[in-house]
Amino acid sequence: MSDPAMSDPAMSDPATSNPVMSRVSAEVRDQIADLQAEYIDALDNQDMEGWLAAFDDQGTYYCRSKENEDDGLEIGYMFDDCHARLCDRVKFVDQIWAGTFEEYQTRHFLQPTRFKSLGEDLYATETNFTVMYTDDTGITKVLASGRYKDEIVVNGVAKLRSRKAILDTNVVPRYIVYPI
Amino acid sequence: MNAHTDLVTSLEWPANLNEIPKAVFDDEDLYALELEKIFYGPEWHVVAHRGEVPEKGDFKRFYLGEMPILVIHGDDGRVRVFHNACSHRGALVETKNRGNQLEFECPYHRWLFSSTGDMIGCPNSDQFSPSFSKEKFGLKELRTDEYCGLVFATLSDETPDLKEWMGERMLDPLARILGGDGRIRLLGYQKVNYACNWKAYVDNDGYHAPLLHPAFKLLNWQGGRGAQVPTENGHIVFEADLTMPTKVDLLDDPTLIDFKGTETSNGSLVISTFPLTVMTKHLDMLNIRFAFPRDHDHTEVHYAYFYHEDDNEEMARHRLRQASNLLGPSGMISLEDAAIFTRIHHGNISPGNAIFQKGVTDERALNFTPAQNDETGNLPRWEYYRKLMGFRRATS
Repeated sequence: MSDPAMSDPAMSDPATSNPVMSRVSAEVRDQIADLQAEYIDALDNQDMEGWLAAFDDQGTYYCRSKENEDDGLEIGYMFDDCHARLCDRVKFVDQIWAGTFEEYQTRHFLQPTRFKSLGEDLYATETNFTVMYTDDTGITKVLASGRYKDEIVVNGVAKLRSRKAILDTNVVPRYIVYPI
Repeated sequence: MNAHTDLVTSLEWPANLNEIPKAVFDDEDLYALELEKIFYGPEWHVVAHRGEVPEKGDFKRFYLGEMPILVIHGDDGRVRVFHNACSHRGALVETKNRGNQLEFECPYHRWLFSSTGDMIGCPNSDQFSPSFSKEKFGLKELRTDEYCGLVFATLSDETPDLKEWMGERMLDPLARILGGDGRIRLLGYQKVNYACNWKAYVDNDGYHAPLLHPAFKLLNWQGGRGAQVPTENGHIVFEADLTMPTKVDLLDDPTLIDFKGTETSNGSLVISTFPLTVMTKHLDMLNIRFAFPRDHDHTEVHYAYFYHEDDNEEMARHRLRQASNLLGPSGMISLEDAAIFTRIHHGNISPGNAIFQKGVTDERALNFTPAQNDETGNLPRWEYYRKLMGFRRATS
């Protein structure tokens, strides 16, 4: 099976995938940084509408293990391949699951590693993440470590066209309510 | 018997068959005894499906209890299960979770094994002990059997014939979960480590589903119709007869819960085999939950999803997006189960018994024909467990 979401035109060739941050203007990088901050701020405040607002109207979101990704297996923890699915993920958390799960506090920590222009207003970026979580025991542990592979539209404001959260954490330590 | 058995000798199991002592969920010594008597004893354990290792040389790393094992599709077409331990000093032969290769080399002293487990070579063997021969030093193979491509392994010679162990009643529904004929291929895994004892993980019942899971209401899966068939040796077959909703207003993308299957029944199938493997068919998702205990209070589950070899691209893709969004540790339908596993585990560190109620008509008798939405279907498994572990039952 071939999946357009799995293909990676921007970063697949190691010879051309060196960080080329200097070729992307500071202004664009600034707007992307704002988007990243808004994204993690929404999630760490359990604000699913804020999470949805980080995507443009063609946005997609995938969360899967690096093991699956490396093996070309597309199964994920989350597979939102159209904007309607993103909207439904908000409903999963805010409506369907409401009152059935124990709240946990996340903290996302990001480090951008790669920027590349794909032409027009589109940019391919990669960003490392670590997500800590604190549950009702009061103890803080690592929920997941990994890397975002994104396509971002920057047109006055930056929005996610596609986000893949690839988890190095191939065995997650608990059930996952919120996107990464 | 090596394990310390304080609990087994000191604890008297309640006389009522619907009462389960909570102490059995959180006891390290008891867990050691469970490994010996159940996981390394005369039971079959689901370790792989051929759809994960379809080609010659394909392999999968997994665990039986806490023992590392290696499932290899040999170049002769047979799927074998080996201890993942070099026949020399016992180092792990393979550390990748999956792959394809026809030779397996232990890096320590470069001992080399074939895909059928035979020893190919070992450096300096002319200086080995007089009794050494390559024939005696293949990878140690476990006894295996297959049903519709599902690979079972056991450490015991006394484990009954596989079909006898499964029971006649399981054969047809299990085949249906496995695509009807076992010709299924891997879509991928969701792996999670639940913070609960393995018995809490597998003790999900027929009563809870429409109550715990709001998605069941959404799908109008209120339960009650269908069958639940427990066996004396700890298996349960659930067949839920479901009506699909004609319209789901809540979802922006209701295609997620489409049923496209060619099967005549659109019902759900859930089979749990003793001790802790669960296999399901909900909508178009073919799911095997390979599981093993990490320790007495952690259970690792590898949710594996499959498509059928005859699927067209659209159908395989439909199974993929359904599986990724509906089941597993972040699934729309199943997320709450995961939440309950941990709650049960922590809450059970309290005195007394867990008391099953729904469907109990006689507290002193097992019911082998519970309703589909009763919780009494779990009690034959508990009774089988009690006897295996040697707990005394109180007489009154």
